[in-house]
Amino acid sequence: MATKYYLPEDHAPLPPKNADVKTTCCDYCIVACGYKVYRWPVGTPDGGPKASENAFNTNFPSGPLQAWVAPTQHNVVMHEGRPHNVVIIPDKDAKVVNIGGDSSIRGGCIAQKCYNPNKPTNDRLTSPLVRINGTLQPVTWDFALDIAADVGNHVLKEHGANAYSVKTFSYQFFENTYAVKKFARRSIKTAAFTFHDTPSDVTSTPGFRDAGFDNFGPAYTDWGDADVLVICGTDPYETKTMIFTQFIKPAIDRGQKTIWLNVRETAGLAYAKSKGDDQTIHLQINPGTDTPVLGAISRIILENGWEDKDWIKHWVNDKWGSSSGFGQGTRNTPWQWRTTWGKFQTGGVYGKKGYKKWVMSRKEHEPEVAAKIAGVDVNDLYKAAKWLTGGGGDRPKASFGIEKGFYWSNNTGNTNAISSLATICGAGGRPGQVVGRFGGHQRGGAGGGSYPRNRSPEKVPGRRRRSLDTDRWLYSGHTRMAHVIGTTWIQAMAGANGLHNKFEELTTNNPNQVTSWDKDEIIKTLKARADSGGTVVINQDIYLRDPIGARFADIVFPASTWGEEDFARANGERRIRLYQKFYDAPGDAKPDWWIISRLAQKMGFKGYDWNDSNQVCEESSRSSRGNRKAYHMIKIAAHREGKTLHQKLAELGTEGIQGPTFLNYETGELLGTVRLHNTTMTQEQIEREGRTKGANMINKKGTHFNSQTGRVNIQKHPWSLYADYWEWMSPKEDELWHTNGRINEIWQSGFDDIERRAYITQRWPENFTEIHPDDAAARGIESGDRVMLFSNRVPVHKNTIKGVHGKDFQFSELMKNGHIALEKGAVTAIAIVTPAVKKGALYSYFITEKQASNALQGRVVDNISGNYNYKLGVCKVKNLGPSEYKKEFRSMSFAPRNIV
Amino acid sequence: MSDIKKKDETAADHGKCMLNRRQFLMYSGSAAAAASTVSISLFPGQAAAKARVVGYPRKKIGQLSALKDDQPVNFTYPDDGAINMLVKMGGVKAGGGVGDQRDVVAFSYLCTHQGGNMIGKYQAVGNHRVLGQCPLHLSTYDLTRHGIIVSGQAYQSVPQVLLEVDGDDIYAVGMMGLIFGRNENLLES
Repeated sequence: MATKYYLPEDHAPLPPKNADVKTTCCDYCIVACGYKVYRWPVGTPDGGPKASENAFNTNFPSGPLQAWVAPTQHNVVMHEGRPHNVVIIPDKDAKVVNIGGDSSIRGGCIAQKCYNPNKPTNDRLTSPLVRINGTLQPVTWDFALDIAADVGNHVLKEHGANAYSVKTFSYQFFENTYAVKKFARRSIKTAAFTFHDTPSDVTSTPGFRDAGFDNFGPAYTDWGDADVLVICGTDPYETKTMIFTQFIKPAIDRGQKTIWLNVRETAGLAYAKSKGDDQTIHLQINPGTDTPVLGAISRIILENGWEDKDWIKHWVNDKWGSSSGFGQGTRNTPWQWRTTWGKFQTGGVYGKKGYKKWVMSRKEHEPEVAAKIAGVDVNDLYKAAKWLTGGGGDRPKASFGIEKGFYWSNNTGNTNAISSLATICGAGGRPGQVVGRFGGHQRGGAGGGSYPRNRSPEKVPGRRRRSLDTDRWLYSGHTRMAHVIGTTWIQAMAGANGLHNKFEELTTNNPNQVTSWDKDEIIKTLKARADSGGTVVINQDIYLRDPIGARFADIVFPASTWGEEDFARANGERRIRLYQKFYDAPGDAKPDWWIISRLAQKMGFKGYDWNDSNQVCEESSRSSRGNRKAYHMIKIAAHREGKTLHQKLAELGTEGIQGPTFLNYETGELLGTVRLHNTTMTQEQIEREGRTKGANMINKKGTHFNSQTGRVNIQKHPWSLYADYWEWMSPKEDELWHTNGRINEIWQSGFDDIERRAYITQRWPENFTEIHPDDAAARGIESGDRVMLFSNRVPVHKNTIKGVHGKDFQFSELMKNGHIALEKGAVTAIAIVTPAVKKGALYSYFITEKQASNALQGRVVDNISGNYNYKLGVCKVKNLGPSEYKKEFRSMSFAPRNIV
Repeated sequence: MSDIKKKDETAADHGKCMLNRRQFLMYSGSAAAAASTVSISLFPGQAAAKARVVGYPRKKIGQLSALKDDQPVNFTYPDDGAINMLVKMGGVKAGGGVGDQRDVVAFSYLCTHQGGNMIGKYQAVGNHRVLGQCPLHLSTYDLTRHGIIVSGQAYQSVPQVLLEVDGDDIYAVGMMGLIFGRNENLLES
């Protein structure tokens, strides 16, 4: 029997002294560690083991933490048409982020990402493809683009802009996202536009936005400078590795207290717990029950008067502050776009309409009640309240970090609840006292055009429109052209099985299928498809994805990516760096900005005559002004020095500069921003540093919060908005909760490594589900058994509707009014029996192409925000019998991740 | 090593050339068992396997009868500069394990992330046998599965020492995976 295995090499070449050196950053998680690429031609000598013989200036064998090349860090690529060795290792000179050259497993092996026809990356897309007679066949760029442009224009003319849906990555570099957004939102002006991780273009963290917190305001150092750190819905060891190993772990070793809300336990959490109950609280909650737990902690704090009264006095809106501004309803926040009739607004912390009064009045915030809902020890809630505030003694610095396990379980409720708790603890605007996210993709979004909200046919109760839900829009048959860029769309969304079936109906099952060699006839057929109510699919990606590309796409555009073009992007502390080109893209693959520019020009749109990526970046810089990663001033500085924006960024190397950026016109010095909402920074200091003159743009968020007044809005977080959905989803009979997410080895890197990195493939040859020993025993399941996870009640919100009455988007109302269909979902996985997951809950990896566990998660959006609560699912489990991994000792591991 | 340069290697020849130069032995697990009285049990089952044996010294590192369950014994291999552990994992069968129960394995102590020393980090937890967490960045390896990463940041599995049993004697005969800090496992003396 042969399973996927990996035979490690026992040698790796060292780069010679004269190797070319390029700087870049890891392509994956948001931390974005700095890397160096060493390149030298194949056929020229490697470096030797003496310091005088290699580019690292290091004697080999090297010692711990010194430069080293693992075999997985070497590859052979084409550069200017000639094979070259590349060694890609973390930048040992790094002074920021991955200080001293630390790295994660993902970035550590990133050399294996490069296209190499002799390696598992050999299936990169290398030429445009058009489906003829059911087969995707290589064609020229002109042939494919002509078809796409002609059919696209037809769809716009006959069916309107919203019939052209664009679903795109949000993160893959400024240049590409700028081009895509300019095309979709400024030129086409479609409201059927969204990003890879959400059905509609809405904020990921509504509570943060409404409170006034930026997702990525903190500096990485802040997480280590906190005395008490609350970590919700993630283990940063897995999702922000360097933040954990560089900042949090050393802080824990110094005595930092940590409080975790997490259904399961992985290595970082286990490490924290190894320090004992006096330093770590693990609230191992039932899925989706964070809100009552946080409300109860807030209640205990306020009841005892432990809140940070001084902070509240200066930095939290009172009733006048929270009503200030223009517009209707609650005026201070984007609530004005989603009128909620005071469901969230408070009159500040105190008083008749204050948060305190509200939080005390709700039954679910009574500590005993909250602990029962969540399945945790009530004493831990009291303990947490005391730790966070000092319990009346010296006030510790408390910080709060969240990620998807939290904000995608109860999107609006949880993000409101954590914002309010953080605020009464005095967090949000001072060093070591911060609020932010603990994961996500790198921040590669650039604004090429604003979302045409007034064109969205979707309306929530009240007066305003909401961004169009592209899944329901497609499901209702309105999407005649689906332009999919760098995402699987289907597996990435919840209720994936039903979405798959709908795509199949609209594409391959439509009678209008291309059978001709003739371009005009192909165009005619695809127009007929769109006119008949079907969908034409364009897919733009680096690999052929199944099914969106392999089965449903009519046209496939091959994209070039990281390392194959100069690109710029920011990380999770807004640090902007250049990701340098160091090798030739495979075949005829082109960067996404180029593909968009040529398609747009063929469709007749103006303003796309770019020749290189720097030009796109320079055009985009204006749109960054005022936002968290504003890079406009880098361009100004570059031009003053006779350089391009990319050249200037290249000079800044792996250190880059933290946005928003400023230029001191007198000294010519570029200035970064360590953290946003820095209330300790004064106006005099800002002026003294030269941040106010010329094209510099000071934004409120630098020293204040993103609200109308610049102070934090403290908000209610009513459990009732969500409780009906939670109760309905709760396991019945022999069902278990099914929640899913990422794992360290495959984190923001799934588009490369599950299938194409031998070492990772051996570790995770297929999807898994963690199951508690009691639940496993009751079902006769052992580690290594192949199980079927299935549900006949995956709730799916079907249609694009207009909300009129206040509760129209509430789950129970949708159900009552016939808008919810119950679909079937089924996905197989290998069982891992471990007490690291809460009893009654399963945890799977969320998105392999073949076993997309999102199939089991409810496709019903949060009724306020419009996001899915992806992490909430329910299913039954059936043992299919032992897998091959149970019988041999090569692939996969069933050892728990929380062994300390 | 600097005198052994790649003179004229194309990208396509790259892999082949490396194999030839270092004379790696290709064989299948079952063929090896048939051809020899010793048992190098690298890959159980019928999968074709490639071991890194030729060129490595054959060194006696212990005796089966002297091993106590779950008590690692330290030894150096392939030279005095590389520290490894030999352990009988209390009857838990392992990929590459030797002995009647296939539970005797040997691994490098150096974490393949950044060279952390994992002496004292062998752990037997239920039926699991792991090395780690590494004190530097918490990587953990599964010793029943050729040292594959369980959780952590390492760039490859922790190198496994290939074992051969002759009567009661255990010999180290090769190594799978590059030892941290080296560009070649076999240093020039």
